[in-house]
Amino acid sequence: MSLLLGALIIGLILALLSLGVFISFRIFHFPDMTAEGSVTLGAAVAAALLMTGHGPLFATSAAALAGGVAGMLTGILHTRFRINGLLAGIIIMTALYSVNLHVMGRSNVPLMEVSTFASWSAGIAGYFGGGTLLLFNRPASVEDLTILGITVTLVIAVVLALFAFFRTHLGLAMRATGDNDQMVRALGASDSIMLTAGLALSNALVATAGALLAQYQGFADVQMGIGMLVWGLASVIIGEALVGTSRFGYVLAGAVFGSVLFRLLVAVALRWGLDPNDLKLITAVFVFAALVLPGSFANLRRRAQQRATGGGRA
Amino acid sequence: MLEINRIRKTFNAGTANEVRSLQGVTLSIDEGSFVVVIGTNGSGKSTLLNAVAGTFYLDEGSIDIAGTAVTRWPEHQRARYIGRVFQNPFSGTAPTLSIAENLALASRRGQSRGLGLALGSGTRARMIEAVQGLGMGLESRLDNAIGSLSGGQRQALTLLMATWLKPKLLLLDEHTAALDPRSADQVVRITDRIIARDGLTAMMVTHSMQQAITYGDRLVMMHRGEVIHDVSGPDKRRLCVNDLLARFEEVRRADLLDPSAAALLRARYI
Repeated sequence: MSLLLGALIIGLILALLSLGVFISFRIFHFPDMTAEGSVTLGAAVAAALLMTGHGPLFATSAAALAGGVAGMLTGILHTRFRINGLLAGIIIMTALYSVNLHVMGRSNVPLMEVSTFASWSAGIAGYFGGGTLLLFNRPASVEDLTILGITVTLVIAVVLALFAFFRTHLGLAMRATGDNDQMVRALGASDSIMLTAGLALSNALVATAGALLAQYQGFADVQMGIGMLVWGLASVIIGEALVGTSRFGYVLAGAVFGSVLFRLLVAVALRWGLDPNDLKLITAVFVFAALVLPGSFANLRRRAQQRATGGGRA
Repeated sequence: MLEINRIRKTFNAGTANEVRSLQGVTLSIDEGSFVVVIGTNGSGKSTLLNAVAGTFYLDEGSIDIAGTAVTRWPEHQRARYIGRVFQNPFSGTAPTLSIAENLALASRRGQSRGLGLALGSGTRARMIEAVQGLGMGLESRLDNAIGSLSGGQRQALTLLMATWLKPKLLLLDEHTAALDPRSADQVVRITDRIIARDGLTAMMVTHSMQQAITYGDRLVMMHRGEVIHDVSGPDKRRLCVNDLLARFEEVRRADLLDPSAAALLRARYI
C-alpha cells in the first residue's frame, strides 16, 4: 500500500511537470529543453532556502519564480536573438547545471533534517491521530494519505487555474500563438511576448514539480532533471490516448492522468524486478513508439486497403 | 487615410538573389476609398500590402496611417489600425480554436488582452448575429474548431474578424485566389458588402480582371515595383476587362526589350 501511495504522490507531483511540458510542446509546439534544467533548479532553490530556515511554502514559491525566469530567458534567446528553439533551450539547460551547483553549494543536499512540504503534511497528519489505518484491508500510513490529499488538492487547483487562464483573452492569445503566429500578429498581439510568457509559465510549473519532488524524496540532486522532459512527454502522450479527444479541458486533465498512470506502471514494473538503470531507456523507447506507431498503423491500414481495392480490380 | 511616400525595398540586397520589390512607390489613399491593386507576377503588389502591414521594414520612404507615422512600428502594433485577410485561408485563423474563440481574439485587435474571460455572456449574441450575416449556416457551429471548415468559410470568417473592430484600413491580399470560383465569388461579395456597410478604406490585391473591373472606386496597376497606372472616379467606372488586358499586353511587350534598351528607345522616340 505504501508503494502504491508513494507512486501516486510522485505521479501527481510530476503531473505539474507534465502540465509544463504540455504547455511548451503542445500549446506552443516549442521543443523546450529548458525543462531538464528547471526541474533541478526548482529543487535546488527550494533546498537552499529550506536549509537556511525558510518555510516550505516560501521555498516552493521561490522555486516556481526561478523556473519562470529560466523559461523567460529561453524565450528571449529564441525570439529576440533568433536562436533556434531547441538550441535556446539547450543553452539555458547547460547554463542551469552550473547555476544549480552554485545554488546548492554541492551536488546533493539532503533535506531530512529540515521542515519541508512533506514534514509539514506529516504535522497535519498528527491532527488526524497519525499511525496507520486499513485501506482495502492493507495498512496505509495516515501521513502518506495526508500528503496524497494535499498533492491531489494542489494539482486540481493548478489544473483549474490553468483551465480558467487559457479561457481569458490573454490565455486565448497564447493558444492561438502556437496555432498560427502570423494571425496573432495581424490581430495586434506580439507572438514573441506570448511565447516568452508561455515558456515562463511552463518552466514555473516544471520547477514547482522539482521543488516538491525534492521535498518528498528528502533530497535535491544536481542530476535529478536528466530524462525528465521525455518523462513529461510520455505522460502527455499517455494522457492524450486516455482522454481520446482534443477538447482543451480534457487534454489538460489527461496530462495529469497520464503522469499518474505512467508512474504507477513504472512502480509495478520495478516491483516485478525491472532494473532501475533501464528505466530511462524504456521511457525513451516508449515515447519513440508512441510518436511513430500511430503513423505506421495508418500507413499499414492504407496499404491494406489499397491491396484490397487493387485485388478487386485485378 | 493612407500616405505611402517614395518607399523602396530590396530583398537579399547584394546577392545573386537580389529582388528589387518596391522602387519608389508613392500612393495616397483617401478615407472611404476602395482601391484595387493589380499587376503581373512579381510586380510588387503583395509586397506593397506587406509594407503597409509592417511584415518587414522599408529601405527608404515612409508610411502614415490616419496621420500617424507608422514606418518604424512593428507588425503587431500596426494591427491597431489595420485589418488583414491573407491569400492562404490557413493564415487568418487559428485552426484548433473554435469559431467563437477566433472571433473573441479578433474582438481585441490592437487592444490590451487582460485576464477577463474571453467568451463572456454578452459576446455570444453578437457573434451569432454577425456569423448569420455571412449566410453560410455557421451560426450553429460556433463551438466547432475552425480547422474543420472549408477555405471559403475560413476566408469569410477571417474577413469578419478583420472588420470586427472597424479598422482604419482593410488589406486584402488576393484573398479569393486560393478558393474555388463559387466560394471566391461569395467571399468577394461579402467583402464588398462589409466595406460598403462600414464605409471602410480598403486595398484589395487581385488576379481576377473581373473583380478589378467590378469592385472598388480606384484601380492601381503595378509593374516591376512601380505604379504604372492609377485610375479612379468615372474613368475607373468606364474601365472594361479588355482595357486591362491591353495594358498587360503593353507591359509584356516592353518587357521583351531589356530595361536599358527600353530606356534608350523611349529617350529617342518619345
